[in-house]
Formats: sequence, C-alpha cells, structure tokens
Amino acid sequence: MTTATVTLVLIALVLLAYAWRRGDGSHRRGLVQGWQTLKRTWLLLLVAFLIVGYVNVLSPQDLIQQWLGPESGWSGLLLAEFIGLLLPGGPYVVFPLIAVLYGAGAGLGPAVTLITSWAMLALISVTFELPFMGWRFTAVRWGLGLFFPVLAGALAQLIF
Amino acid sequence: MRDRTTQLLMLIVALLVLLAWQRGGLDLVLAGLLDGARLLWMVLPLLVAAFVIAGMIQVLVTKEMVTRWLGQEAGWRGIALACVGGALMPGGPYVYYPIAAVLLQSGASVGVLVAFVTAKNLWSLSRLPLEFALLGPTLTVARFTVTLIVPPLLGGLAEWLFGGRVETIRQGVRT
Repeated sequence: MTTATVTLVLIALVLLAYAWRRGDGSHRRGLVQGWQTLKRTWLLLLVAFLIVGYVNVLSPQDLIQQWLGPESGWSGLLLAEFIGLLLPGGPYVVFPLIAVLYGAGAGLGPAVTLITSWAMLALISVTFELPFMGWRFTAVRWGLGLFFPVLAGALAQLIF
Repeated sequence: MRDRTTQLLMLIVALLVLLAWQRGGLDLVLAGLLDGARLLWMVLPLLVAAFVIAGMIQVLVTKEMVTRWLGQEAGWRGIALACVGGALMPGGPYVYYPIAAVLLQSGASVGVLVAFVTAKNLWSLSRLPLEFALLGPTLTVARFTVTLIVPPLLGGLAEWLFGGRVETIRQGVRT
C-alpha cells in the first residue's frame, strides 16, 4: 500500500511540475479538473466504500472462495465475466468492489476476468454506445469481445 | 446516469445494512460503517494523488490531439494510432463515444474504431493510477499484461471480418 502511495504521489508531482513549467496556468487548470472530478464522484466513492465495509464485516469468504476462488476453474471465470457485465458505474465504484472480492479470496484469474469484462463489455457503457454508434457497431465490438475476458483470466492464472 | 448509479448503490447499501442488522443487530451495522470509513481513510492519499494525475492528463492531452492522430489513417497504422489515442483518451463513455461517432462519420474504419474503444477500455492511462491504488500492483500488472494484445487484435479482427460493411454501420447511426 505504501509503495503505491509513494509511486502515485511521485507521478502526480512530476506531472504537476511539468504542467507548471509550461507557464500557461496548466497546473492550476489540472488541479481544478481533478477537484471537479472529485466533487462529481465523492458521493459514489462514499457509498462504494460503505458497500466494501459491509461486504467485509458480513464476510462471505467461504462463498467467494467457493465460487470465484483460485480453484474455481472455468466456472469461476464464466461467473466473473457475467458479474463484470452487470457491474454498475465507473472505476471509482468498481475497483473498490473488485478489491474487496479479491481480498476475500477470489482468485487472480477470476479477478482479471472481472476487471476485463467490466472494462470491455459493461452493459452500462453499452447504453452510451448504442445511440452514438448504432447497434451494428455494438454487435461487432461486443460480440467479438465476449470471448476475451475469460481467456485473459485463464492466461493470468497460467502465467502469474 | 450518475444519479441512477448512486441510487442503485445506495439500494445495495440498504440491503447490506438490513442483512447486517438481521445477522448481528446494531453492533454489526456499526462495524460495517466503521470498516468502510477506515478503508476510505486508508486510501485517501492515493485517491487525492490519482485525482491530481487524472486532472493533469486531462489538461496536458487535448481532445484535438487525439482526433488528429486518429484521422483517416488506414490499415494497421490506423489501428495502432487508434490504440494510442484510446489509451490517452481521458473521461468516461460520455466523452469517447461522441468522439468515436464523429470519427465514424468522417471516414474512420470499423477496425480503427473498435481498436479505439477497446484501447480506451483496457489501456486507459488516466484510469491506471486509480486501478493501481485500489487493486494493488500484482492484480494491475497481471491484468495489463494479459490484455495488452487485445485492442489491436480485436481491431484487426473486426476490420478483417466486418471492414467491408462500414457503410451499412455508418448509415445505421444516421437513421
């Protein structure tokens, strides 16, 4: 956790310095942008962490280990892909939830499938895609993409 | 959209509170509340750094830059450019789908657009700090490594299979 904090703070500082050196107020505008994103998402974050807290104290470890654990095999990967499709909201909501599942005993493979499935195929993003791109484009992208989350999870399980 | 999501999540919280109440009364309800607050407090510095980074990327990488790189390129070069553009593209689906729609109408190919959307989804640089912060290095590195090939592969596959039907796809949006 501390390594991650240090890395991120460093990156933030480097970007801030770079933006400041451009001398056109970029650094200030960047901070304002970040602040606005935070203002837009703080309620979501708060609620997401509440969910994480409750999932933690209700500790469904046995269930998660059985269904999504490292030994859950293909059925675990398929279930992870299905859950990923249905996960609502952006990364601020989804990452804490996946983190708590992973912490409670989900395997690396199912966790990778879950992230990939949410990122590529989440139905909530498709609702944005349809009006802009038409159903044919969505059918091509989504249909071909359907195979990848499970494969990614299996590959992750194999390599890591 | 965001409000719908918040409402759905609040409903989930309410159900979990109810479940906690049923299982262990007020004590367990408070325990869940405290646990969530403690976790949020722990990742707070990470979140602040992540939001600063996201803001800086939004300012340093302009939409015009991305649009220019994606232009009317064709073949693998266009797909490669689309992947880079997608990775640099900040913002949610309400940002990148309008841009993809503009590119589609101004002559971009199916493969380029599939690569663009998939790279945005899987290589997103502005999301990376948050992913790293909340999911940890192991899971993040594993996830990135195994999905690295997917955006160009999916773009190439879509172009190969459906590239000839781009005009039909284009007209599907207009009507």
